Amino acid sequence: MLKLFETETLSLDKLTDEQTAIKVKDFSVWLNNSLVLNKINMRIPKNKITAMIGQSGCGKSTLLSSFNRMNELNQKYAFSGEVELDGRDIYNKKENVAKLRTKVGMVFQRPNPFPMSIYENVCFGLRIQGKTERRMLDDIVETSLRNAALWDEVKGRLFDSALLLSGGQQQRLVIARALALKPEILLLDEPTSALDPLTTLHIEELINQLKKTTTVVIVTHNMQQAARVSDYSVFLHQGELIEYSDSDSLFTMPAKKQTEDYITGRYG
Amino acid sequence: MRKFSAPEQQTISSFASGLSAAILLIVLMSLVLFIVLKGSAYFWPSQVFKVTTYDTPNSEVSVFVPSSVNIDEFNQALSDKLDAQFSNSALPMPLIVVEKVDAVYQISLNLGAIQYGKFQQVNTPNSERYQLAELNDVVADVAIFQNQLHDIQTNYLTVLHRKIALLNQSGVGEEAPARLKELEQFTYWQQKAEALRHKLASYNLIFIDAAGQPFDVLVKDIDHLFQPNVMSLFDKISYSGNKIIEFVSESPKQASTSGGVFPALFGTVLMVLLMAVIVAPFGAMAAIYLHEYAPNNMTTSVIRICVSNMAGVPSVVYGVFGLGFFVYTLGGSIDSLLFSDALPSPTFGTPGLFWAALTMALLTLPVVIVSTEEGLRRVPEGLRAGSYALGATKAETIWKTVLPFASPGIMTGVILAIARAAGEVAPLILVGAVKFAPSLPVDSEFPFLHLERQFMHLGVFIYDGAFHNQTNTQGSSMMFASCMLLLIIVFILNLFAIIVRNKLRDRYVRI
Amino acid sequence: MKRHLELNTHISGKFNQELENLTNSVLTMGGEVEQQLINTITAIRENNASLAERVLLNDLKINSMEVQIDDECMRIIAKRNPTASDLRLIMTVSRATTDIERIGDEICRIAKLVTKDKLPPSDIVLGGMLMIAEKVVFMMRGTFDAFARQDEKSAVAVYEQDDAIDKKHKELLKQTANEMQNDHTDMQKWFDVLWAIRSLERIGDRCKNLCEYILFLTYGKDVRHSSMKKVVKKLMK
Repeated sequence: MLKLFETETLSLDKLTDEQTAIKVKDFSVWLNNSLVLNKINMRIPKNKITAMIGQSGCGKSTLLSSFNRMNELNQKYAFSGEVELDGRDIYNKKENVAKLRTKVGMVFQRPNPFPMSIYENVCFGLRIQGKTERRMLDDIVETSLRNAALWDEVKGRLFDSALLLSGGQQQRLVIARALALKPEILLLDEPTSALDPLTTLHIEELINQLKKTTTVVIVTHNMQQAARVSDYSVFLHQGELIEYSDSDSLFTMPAKKQTEDYITGRYG
Repeated sequence: MRKFSAPEQQTISSFASGLSAAILLIVLMSLVLFIVLKGSAYFWPSQVFKVTTYDTPNSEVSVFVPSSVNIDEFNQALSDKLDAQFSNSALPMPLIVVEKVDAVYQISLNLGAIQYGKFQQVNTPNSERYQLAELNDVVADVAIFQNQLHDIQTNYLTVLHRKIALLNQSGVGEEAPARLKELEQFTYWQQKAEALRHKLASYNLIFIDAAGQPFDVLVKDIDHLFQPNVMSLFDKISYSGNKIIEFVSESPKQASTSGGVFPALFGTVLMVLLMAVIVAPFGAMAAIYLHEYAPNNMTTSVIRICVSNMAGVPSVVYGVFGLGFFVYTLGGSIDSLLFSDALPSPTFGTPGLFWAALTMALLTLPVVIVSTEEGLRRVPEGLRAGSYALGATKAETIWKTVLPFASPGIMTGVILAIARAAGEVAPLILVGAVKFAPSLPVDSEFPFLHLERQFMHLGVFIYDGAFHNQTNTQGSSMMFASCMLLLIIVFILNLFAIIVRNKLRDRYVRI
Repeated sequence: MKRHLELNTHISGKFNQELENLTNSVLTMGGEVEQQLINTITAIRENNASLAERVLLNDLKINSMEVQIDDECMRIIAKRNPTASDLRLIMTVSRATTDIERIGDEICRIAKLVTKDKLPPSDIVLGGMLMIAEKVVFMMRGTFDAFARQDEKSAVAVYEQDDAIDKKHKELLKQTANEMQNDHTDMQKWFDVLWAIRSLERIGDRCKNLCEYILFLTYGKDVRHSSMKKVVKKLMK
């Protein structure tokens, strides 16, 4: 039979280890002694965009920041279960957290460029790793800024303060800063909630470009954004994983009533 | 009780707050104005009036009196004073005449004293009589002789004296030929110096004082000479300029009643800078520990409260602590460990610049800690998270992102610390500031910065001046000038720190 | 006011791709239907039953295309939240596919004349049918051209061709009635012929609908159920 539209969706149940970027096994989190995530099991496919949606406080940000152990910065944090990256539990005792975070980059809700030049912002992670060779830094800065679709706008003023950029440019700079470390996984925590709609679209387009080389996990409050940008979507509710499937089905024919209610705006 | 309507309440509250602000402004302005007026009067040439008092018809006493006011005001002030003095007295009120004499000269001497007189003549050894216009030639001659004298003293007499002393030490006999030769040389140069001194003494100027009696002034003692009553405005301005330069660049003379305050100025700035260098890193580090590392529990809160309370401890307590702990205990230990050969005369075991700076650093530490913590609190959480997310450790995050962002806060602390330290007197008297220090704490001798030396401080200088020179109008005027200078110093130091802070703020803080 | 449609200027490259694929798929479907009609005409002319049979089979493909395009429309609406011209495009596509699919069904009905051997016995009627069919093919081609170029002028021109078809259709009906009077041995056959003639006319109507959709797409104004002349006057200002 003739197929008019090409779609390639991996079956999430039958994901092989090569196709998996992050494997979450029975993962639970307690913050200040209250259960925030309850036995989450999921596999996040490699080089795809996975969106997490759900109400505020449903645990999606907590789950996201579990992937690079940023949630440990909170006081009173406890967990059980495993998060596997390349077949290795990142919560093992010997894990080098700083190194892990260079492989799993993260971008936050509000653009947070450092109060330095654009160039130094992009170099920040590299300098921390002790890389100082000027030529190499120049190359990486250019590539990262190009990949973040910012190069053309800032190439003439690399040494100006990053704080002079607009909100959307700052957020792209922050993405470029994460990309400079060539992360395998990029975690985006509501990356566009502080930006105007058009800038948001630019960032989304950028995210779409990124998936060629990077696995992207994005948390968003904006369901339409999740629908637009993601290949796969997770719906979380009160710490439980309710539904996880490819976005096409989730947003046209969700399997669970809770999901349907949430994405159609029927939730109480 | 009457109830005020809403607009009335509005009016009352805005009026009350506006009034307070206005009063504050007036107080501040009058303080600055008073200090500036009084202080600048010191630099402006005063007029000289001849005051003649007729006690009895045939006995009269005349003096020259300098005054910064004009003749009418002077008369008025004088008669008011006499009224007050003689209104309840049996003695008849004396007749007093005040006149402005144009020809009178003000003779400022090298040692700081000031005399007034009418010029009569210039005396030179070759008994030629010069006019005052030719004084410059005479002064040039005198300068040559003085140089010669100085030359002899430093190059010959001092050297010979040292040689003889050496001979004495090594026990050379009284009649040894080497010794005799040196002695002969010494006597020769001494005679020469004596002759020069004699010659110098014969260059003098004869003036006539108010009572008509002549008196002489040696040319070599004269610093400058001018007629205050006939000066043009330009002359007055250039006089003031010279006086200001003298004030900030020379040492005090005549028991701190004239001359300059350079050592005090230098000491103040040096001490404040030294203190800033000590307190800034120390305070910043303490604040970083409190804010970044210390667990959020009772102990930390108690420490914070203690730090805040430290700011309220009277400064003299710090002075006593500095004297007892730093100077005697710490300094004494250093002396016994490192400078034991110089004992019993203390090196560090005595009040000195370093201890003063350290005490002031301790005094201003709470200010720096509090404002640094304030700066750290203003660092957005996202900035830290961003740094961690790029694989930075806690130390790297603090050092590379948090600290630069908090640097304006640290600078604010340093500004406040500088303002406080520059004006503090009580603790400084105890730990190292003195009324008169023989040498500056910085000189060309190794190690150039002598931390153990005592130093002069403007605040202490003013304090001293206010206590000991209350009778001398000129001296108290110099005290006001020093006050003005202290204000200016604090202002400049603050301005500098504010500029630095704003630069940092522009660089690091989001607009 | 005419709004020029720019499908490939969205910030999201993926969206551009999706919209382009969508319009292309409609054109593919249209081309398919056009080929069906041409094949049917050939089958009638040559009385080629196997070709007609193929046309009937091929209709399944067209049906599947309708379903796929509808699914894609739904997916795009759900995922992209299209607005304004994008939304009109998708609504247009969704409606158009329904009409095109119906055209496909009508063609099947005509093709069945050949497979069931029910071609009209009269040459006059057959000739008239073929003539109308040629006109309909021409109109259909014009319609899809107008859709591909989103050209409202040619859409209006195509729209007006329907009048001629209707006229011919009436004439043909009269002729058929005459023929039926002469030969009433097989009334069942005549009924099928009448249905087929009506289907041809219906195809023309559906093309008219498609033209209305094109106007809706380019002007953003629904011109259905209104007098076309007034509308065109208003629009062409």
